[in-house]
Amino acid sequence: MSGLKRVGLTIDGLKVQAAEGTSILKAAEQAGVVIPHFCYHPALEIEGNCRMCVVEIEGLPKLEPSCSALVREGLVVRTSTERVREARKDVLAFLLAEHPLDCPICDKAGECRLQDYYDRHGLTASRMVEPRERREKKLAIGRGLILDRERCVLCTRCVRFLRQMPGTGELGVFERGLRSEVGIFEDAPVDNGYSGNLVDICPVGAITAEDFRFKTRAWFLARKPSVCPHCGRGCAVTVESVSGYPLAKGERRVYRITARENPAVNGFWICDLGRDGRRDIDEGRHARLMKAGVPVAGLSWQTALADVAAAIRTVPGPERSAGIAVVLNGRLTCEELALAKRLFVAGLGLSKVYFADRKPGSADGLLLTAERLPNGRGVLEAGFAPRLPALDEIAAADVLLVFGPYLSEHLAEEALAKAWAGIPSKFLFSAHEGPLDRLADIVFPVAVPAEKSGTYINVDGTRQTFAQAVKPAAGVAAESAILAGLANLLALDAGGGDAR
Amino acid sequence: MIKAWLVVKELLRGAGITSRHFFVNMTFHTLRLFGIKTKRRGAVTIQYPEERKELSPRHRSLHRIRPRDDGRPSCVACMLCVTVCPSECISVEAAEDPDPEVQKVPAKFVVDLNRCCFCGFCVEACPVDAIRMDTGEIRLASKTRAGLEARLDKP
Amino acid sequence: MLADVLIVLAKVVLALTWTLLLALFLTWVERKESAVMQDRIGANRASVFGLRLFGLFQPFADAIKMLFKEDFAPTFSQRALHWLAPTFSFFFVSVAIVAVPFGDTVRLFGRRIPLQVVDLNAAVLFVLAMLSLGIYGILVSGWASANRYALIGSLRGAAQLISYEVALGLSLVGLIMVFPSLSLSRIVESQGALLFGFLPKWGVFLQPLGFAVFFLAGMAGTKRVPFDLPEGESEIIGFYTEYGGLKFGLFMFTDFLEVIVLSAMSTTLFFGGWQVPWLGDGGFAFPWGGRLDVAPWAVTVLRVLAFNLKVFFFCWLQILTRWTYPRFRYDQIMDLGWKVLVPLGVGNILITGLILAARG
Ligand code: SF4
Ligand code: SF4
Ligand code: SF4
Ligand code: SF4
Ligand code: FES
Repeated sequence: MSGLKRVGLTIDGLKVQAAEGTSILKAAEQAGVVIPHFCYHPALEIEGNCRMCVVEIEGLPKLEPSCSALVREGLVVRTSTERVREARKDVLAFLLAEHPLDCPICDKAGECRLQDYYDRHGLTASRMVEPRERREKKLAIGRGLILDRERCVLCTRCVRFLRQMPGTGELGVFERGLRSEVGIFEDAPVDNGYSGNLVDICPVGAITAEDFRFKTRAWFLARKPSVCPHCGRGCAVTVESVSGYPLAKGERRVYRITARENPAVNGFWICDLGRDGRRDIDEGRHARLMKAGVPVAGLSWQTALADVAAAIRTVPGPERSAGIAVVLNGRLTCEELALAKRLFVAGLGLSKVYFADRKPGSADGLLLTAERLPNGRGVLEAGFAPRLPALDEIAAADVLLVFGPYLSEHLAEEALAKAWAGIPSKFLFSAHEGPLDRLADIVFPVAVPAEKSGTYINVDGTRQTFAQAVKPAAGVAAESAILAGLANLLALDAGGGDAR
Repeated sequence: MIKAWLVVKELLRGAGITSRHFFVNMTFHTLRLFGIKTKRRGAVTIQYPEERKELSPRHRSLHRIRPRDDGRPSCVACMLCVTVCPSECISVEAAEDPDPEVQKVPAKFVVDLNRCCFCGFCVEACPVDAIRMDTGEIRLASKTRAGLEARLDKP
Repeated sequence: MLADVLIVLAKVVLALTWTLLLALFLTWVERKESAVMQDRIGANRASVFGLRLFGLFQPFADAIKMLFKEDFAPTFSQRALHWLAPTFSFFFVSVAIVAVPFGDTVRLFGRRIPLQVVDLNAAVLFVLAMLSLGIYGILVSGWASANRYALIGSLRGAAQLISYEVALGLSLVGLIMVFPSLSLSRIVESQGALLFGFLPKWGVFLQPLGFAVFFLAGMAGTKRVPFDLPEGESEIIGFYTEYGGLKFGLFMFTDFLEVIVLSAMSTTLFFGGWQVPWLGDGGFAFPWGGRLDVAPWAVTVLRVLAFNLKVFFFCWLQILTRWTYPRFRYDQIMDLGWKVLVPLGVGNILITGLILAARG
């Protein structure tokens, strides 16, 4: 930034320095002056069609849109004079003249720019006496997106996004003047891996997602930052969940995952795979401990962990290296990997430490990487050489500890079952249900990344630390707690003492 | 001495008031017992299940959801009543309506009367005037908790 | 001999039945009287086959409820004592009733039968003694409940009862000086005479101050509002906090029995007992000279009726008091007892003594 020339200007009496080529809107934002806007989006090219952002510039006869006017040395800008306020009021009045009174049934309500601005800058009664234009209210535009043309304010953010970001451009503005409307081209619905972002960027409730539609209201959601664990990019996400009232029985906990801004990793966007990650948190989860394939109530993981420690202790020290096999995965945080290294490699002296992960998919050249695990770099940095175990390597073990359900993605189920049958003690630590459940002696339910805190290192080597975004269900523990508990139990073993 | 007398005087006056009530009321009770109609009654008690007071026009009683003209509930499941309810006793589940003009309807609308404090905020909050507390139903006792969960989406 | 025993037995049964029925009735009266005083109706729903009778069955409904309630005693309580306490209270108060004369003597099958269970020669002392023994019920209940609040309540109760015991005794000394006897039947008989030729020679006319002190101190002894500090059911916790069901019922019932005993004693000592003004054994002899002969059986009936009426009046009065005044504060109770009633009682003795000495 320092290479660019900086210019000085005055915004609302504040002396502001901004890089040459910045818009007034952005410069004002950096100075803490918020200018309302619909069509401007920092990641999209400027179109300047909504006129909500107009400001008064000294020496210019007309109000100027601040999103497209660039800073110049010595400009004097006023953002809240009487004229500007009147102009905003008029812009809102025009937008609302054709706007349906849908807020009670609109998913955007509560986080809608039109609502917020009307509340802050509008508050005028409608002067419309003519009947409102009726438009399509429920148009499926593909990928689970629903377009309501009555609510659309024609800011074209969606159109620009699709052209610029995935570059697919499925949406366009059709017709002219009053009849202008957003739509898809004939038989070409929105179909790209980033379609979910349309819901995030639409400033009003014109584009909504079927998955979230009518499920809850925006103001009930608790928004917590986390990191997406579904590919090596590690996009910044917001996990939006409801934990107490008004949670209906059997409803979801996490209602949606939205993109969080992180210029170093993902900018403003996330892919649909990560957005769909809410299912990973809520669906197919182990709720309680399973023994021999049957869930047992009232047994805590701490108690069951003693069985694991006992099984490990049955293998005499010198035989451990060959007799105990551990399968880890790349979803573990750096902290957990370090703990595993200390416990299994340094402490117990194991040599059979393997890794099993999701099968790689295809990269899309944008955000999504081929690698479908969030901490591949972390595994390497922890000093592991990740390798998938061969069947006979597992079968030779006396004690088997498997973290994650991914082994079954790589090895055929019958073969696995046969190999496992010969192992005296085998334990599975998994967040999700899978074919391995019935093979293991004990299945420990563990937390998904959104339920943990820790650090991931993404494909580019960016280290991201995140905090717990949702509370895990009772009885579900993070692997870090399990590994620490195991270390404790083994260190307490009087005869061994080799856990150090 | 004077103070003591004043105390005694007030004590006697108190006893006088209560006994006056006793004898006056007793007289009216007796008259009534012998079938003599008097305008005044010996007691102001309303014998509830048999006698009822008329509810005030602005009373608040059991909730109801106003139906649309076609009989379906007029609630649009906006959950504003859920939001405003201080007792956290309303639970609304929304469903898609095939009619694009309606779009959102309640699949389930339950008011848990175990918790409801009859504040009427839900009525105030409703943007479409769907929920009202004017049924006049004030006898809401039940022997089970489930009996106090009012399903309002079903008429 | 056997006949005497049978007669005494019959009298015991009759007296007890009378007291218990009256006490039951009083529970109804209490509800109804308070209701009427407060422009209400009062309990009127208990019915037998749809017959409501102004809620007269309410006491029976209450009794049934009390009987069938869980017999609860706190874990750390002393079970035997916990049971014993209410029976103590109940027993001593009901025993006091045997000394009360309900009427004069009747002739039946050639025997003279006094309408009194036993004619003790020191009946006044006996009744006082029995009322004092009731304190043990309170103390024991507080102790046996293993509850600090109950214990403190019972100590409050004991302190209050003992304080008023003194005034109660003092108030009667003057009366015993005027009717020089401790026997209740003798005192009642003495009240049959006339004062100044027209006024019945009732204790209240000879000992107005004595009566006031006696009645106040007696009411304090019943532990009912405004003297209900021992139990303080509405806010301060009292000695029968840990009681429920039948045992609690016994305590409540004892309160009503005390009301009856106090009324009976007031009647007997100060309001001529069974005496009807100007009614002699042969009939009325009015002070203005008229005479009205009345048959002997009718005289007895009139006298028993008069006794009952007077007792009932005092019960009514006590209930009226209970529903009129709020409770005293504890220091006020003690002040009233020690600084007002005791000096008044002593003063009453002095005045009575002076007058008696002056008259020789
Ligand atoms: S888009 Fe905004 S203003 Fe329009 S109905 Fe939805 S919430 Fe209301
Ligand atoms: S659908 Fe939304 S983003 Fe697209 S033009 Fe309309 S208001 Fe803008
Ligand atoms: S009356 Fe008040 S407490 Fe009851 S449901 Fe309505 S808002 Fe909730
Ligand atoms: S009753 Fe009214 S406020 Fe409540 S959900 Fe229905 S429409 Fe909304
Ligand atoms: S934000 Fe500037 S014109 Fe829309």
